[in-house]
Amino acid sequence: MRILLEKLLINYPFFFAIILFVMGAFTVLTRSNLFKKLIGINIMEGGIFLFFVAAGNIKGGAVPILVENNPGMTYINPLTSALMLTGIVVSVSVTAFALALIIRLYKIYGTVDARRIAEMRKEVKERWQE
Amino acid sequence: MAGVITVNLPVFLIILPLVAAFILPTIGRRQRLQENLLLVVGSLGILGAGYLAYLVMDGGISSVYQMGGWPAPWGIELQVDGLAAFFLLVITFVLFPVFLFSRGNLAEEVGGREKTARFYVLILLLGGALAGMALTNDLFNVYVLVEVATISCVGLVSSRNHPLSAEAAFRYLILATFGSALILGGIGFIYIITGHLNMGFAAQELAQVWQYRPHVVWMALIFLLTGFGIKAALFPLHLWLPDAHSIAPTPASALLSGLAVKGYLICLFKFFYRVAGPFLLQELAIDKIMKWAGLLGIVLASLMAIRQDELKRRLAFSTVAQIGYLFLGASLLNTRGLAGTFFYLASHAVIKAALFLSAGTMLAATGKEKVSQLAGIGRKMPVTTAVFTIASLGLVGVPLFSGFVGKWYLLLGALDGGDFLSALVIIGGSVLCAAYLFPVVRLAYFEPAEIEEAEDPGIPQKIALVFLAVLVVLLGVMPGTVLDLAGRAALDLLTP
Repeated sequence: MRILLEKLLINYPFFFAIILFVMGAFTVLTRSNLFKKLIGINIMEGGIFLFFVAAGNIKGGAVPILVENNPGMTYINPLTSALMLTGIVVSVSVTAFALALIIRLYKIYGTVDARRIAEMRKEVKERWQE
Repeated sequence: MAGVITVNLPVFLIILPLVAAFILPTIGRRQRLQENLLLVVGSLGILGAGYLAYLVMDGGISSVYQMGGWPAPWGIELQVDGLAAFFLLVITFVLFPVFLFSRGNLAEEVGGREKTARFYVLILLLGGALAGMALTNDLFNVYVLVEVATISCVGLVSSRNHPLSAEAAFRYLILATFGSALILGGIGFIYIITGHLNMGFAAQELAQVWQYRPHVVWMALIFLLTGFGIKAALFPLHLWLPDAHSIAPTPASALLSGLAVKGYLICLFKFFYRVAGPFLLQELAIDKIMKWAGLLGIVLASLMAIRQDELKRRLAFSTVAQIGYLFLGASLLNTRGLAGTFFYLASHAVIKAALFLSAGTMLAATGKEKVSQLAGIGRKMPVTTAVFTIASLGLVGVPLFSGFVGKWYLLLGALDGGDFLSALVIIGGSVLCAAYLFPVVRLAYFEPAEIEEAEDPGIPQKIALVFLAVLVVLLGVMPGTVLDLAGRAALDLLTP
């Protein structure tokens, strides 16, 4: 038990990454408000980003810009941070797209609640077919 | 010059649709020109993919393409093997008729002539992303390509001028992004324990480290299976598919059902076979999960399809069932089963495109969505209904049609492994498939006509439909070359 706790303490960023991931996933799956779903997705992705960046980190490591007269220096792994830059860009574009869809949904249904939208579907469809 | 093109052919096949996607909006309102550009891209794609397949089978091209000339651990690689050539052929042969079908036929469904350009851009981006998925050999590139494909797919669904399209698209976007997060997590696990993003190096490292960290590898594979399972509509995770695929504009439905879900599947196969390897799948019991999800999918999704009265929804559920076949075939872990899977993938891509395009044509001409309202349509729209019938026969797996060859090899693969339950379900699935497709055909031909006015579509649409129908028959009568390529793809994937 003590060893497990110690491992958790040393690797605490991973612990927080998992908490964020589960929090986000829970929000997406249980909330019916479309905005909250979207926020949940963003929290979940935040967890994954933290997970990656933490994996590339080395305690006491410096920013990976080589300094010639200091050969013994440790550097962090820049690759994971660079990858997450791409991940953040993707996440931003998905968020923008989802917001645009929410605006359209609000114009059609007058609500942003997924349950009410599901109830109103039939009505809207019949109105459209006329 | 010719040498340069041959050497760089794989990259050109990815760049071609992407460049076209950026040029197309600049042409602006000149719709005819845009459509001609699409046809040129489609034909060039078929030529390029065909030549690439010839080069791969002939051994005339190096199996590794280094982007920018940087060797592997530093640079990014493309893997030019049987799998890539095979899937590129499938992509181009489905994209071309879809381009042809959209010609002058799209304005009504997307809500105006000026909006067609956006639709074409999304199709081209999807094509580029799929071509990238076929060729990529890098874990993180898979994630980026998957995201490009996902956003274009959701865009295609939401482009339909229909009040329900936004809701279907939103649900698709949320679930698909959930899947992307899981995929990224899975990639993260693999990267952390192997230290490589290149599939080949990651596989070498994984073969050694997995025994020290079996749980991490298991988590990674489960994350990937769930993530790609959501995107490829593996049975219990298919909830978004029926709405999204039935609401999307007709050409988009054909692409989404025929191609897009398979792109994700190809990526999953790359992760499972090239990175993890069959031994690890068996050791960690991942193949069992795939097998049971596939079996359940075939039976339950087919039963749900029988209960649907809307034609496009019925076809959408049928896609879920056919994806079950592909997962089942991949879980057999032998060359014959995997070759059958790939052949079935190609045949289903062509058949489902034909089914969705012909069904969409019927709906557009009559305005009727329900199967029961389509009585007697065979006499009003002979070409469309004939194509629908041929594709139905193909999907059911009647001999001399393409579905038969695929199912036959899946069956042989299942029997090779002594798996009689799977063999039984493969045959039973055909019966269920007949139960939801043949009533449509029977109604169309053998019932008194209720529809007053309906005509076959214009010439480009007819050519596109007939092109797909001919492919269905050709794949069934002369499967030789394609089967060789599918076998090569399976062999490339199973033997590193």
